[in-house]
Amino acid sequence: MHALAIGAIVAIPLLLPNLGCNSGPALEAPTIEPPAGSGATSDASTEPLSALAPANIAKARPAAPFTVTGNWFIDVSENPNAWRFGPPYPKLKPAAQAEADASQKAAAEGKVYKDDIGQCWPAGLPLIMTRYWPMAMIQIPTSIYMVSGFMNSLRIVYLDGRSHTDPDIVVRTYNGESIGRWEGDTLVVDTRHFRGDHHWMDQGGMSIPAGEQLRIIERIRLVSDGKQLEIEYTMTDPENWDGEWKSTKRFNRVDDVDIQEVSCLPDLNEHLQSTTSKTQVLQ
Amino acid sequence: MRLRLAMWAVLVAVVGVPVMAHHSPAAFDRTKQVTLVGTVKEFRWQNPHTWIEVLVPDQSKKEVLWGVELTSPTYLVRAGWKSNLIKPGDKVTVVVNPVRSGEPSGIFVSLTLADGRTFLERPARLGTPDSK
Repeated sequence: MHALAIGAIVAIPLLLPNLGCNSGPALEAPTIEPPAGSGATSDASTEPLSALAPANIAKARPAAPFTVTGNWFIDVSENPNAWRFGPPYPKLKPAAQAEADASQKAAAEGKVYKDDIGQCWPAGLPLIMTRYWPMAMIQIPTSIYMVSGFMNSLRIVYLDGRSHTDPDIVVRTYNGESIGRWEGDTLVVDTRHFRGDHHWMDQGGMSIPAGEQLRIIERIRLVSDGKQLEIEYTMTDPENWDGEWKSTKRFNRVDDVDIQEVSCLPDLNEHLQSTTSKTQVLQ
Repeated sequence: MRLRLAMWAVLVAVVGVPVMAHHSPAAFDRTKQVTLVGTVKEFRWQNPHTWIEVLVPDQSKKEVLWGVELTSPTYLVRAGWKSNLIKPGDKVTVVVNPVRSGEPSGIFVSLTLADGRTFLERPARLGTPDSK
């Protein structure tokens, strides 16, 4: 009887229809009786532990060499274009080169080429790391939660030893799925499973698309007596360029600013006329 | 001729500090400045961008609505701004870098109030010595 009750609790949310972000007719929760012998009670106990499960956090692990907990901001003190990941750029595949060429032509004509970020699409990795807003990072033994001050974009780096999700079931995202491990005093983060639409490696005259085969390895070190993070990026995407695209960034610790709630509200661009002006090349 | 007496004027200037927007800044002509002398229609203090709408009489006395894009309040506060610094109906002079298309829109350079006080943005260089 007890098992049946638990089964009902587990089954009800699974059987509810999917709800989108749009409003719809009010739904009443159906009354569902679990089928006899369904086994629904045991599934929860066999799932891997969440990164936030106390039992996972409490597992015995070597101490992390450093913590990235803090607010970080791309160091542009020597180069205001340090937010870009090139030049140098890798040798692009023909289709990617065509996009880059078209964006350079548009820039020469004073136009903006496919500025998806300006149209409220997520910046995605790697550009989300170098937006001109701070990135809040919170590190616990199992994971690092990163929240960008730009659109509150969420990125989670799992440190609990899990593997990347099966590509057949993973939900692709613009920040991808990040798995980290410690190598000496370096945190090595491997990120895969990106969305390959409306996702760009650069913008503003050098539009290079990011595809679903994009893979980013970050080697992260705490430097400058803890005042800076250094991240060495090695990025591959055989659909869009040859070989490895490398770039090293430094991020300054910011102790006097917290990130804020930020949304790309439906009326934002209505009042930012540049995003809808004749300068835009959207297709 | 003083700029404030002009309805608007186009100046050529060199702008050294880029202001990063949530969108590409390529839409703006950084080599030009337009001085808008007009009346605040609306001022929205919000993330990721604060914006001002200013009604500016053109040369035929017809009022044109200009949209002015600013950075986020995080940086504006560091430059002395407050959410109630301006309100609808205030007379202001706003300098912008205009969009290249010629439409009445631009990215913020400076604001001068009726009492003569001028406000700028703070360069987005957090964590560097000049960010305080």
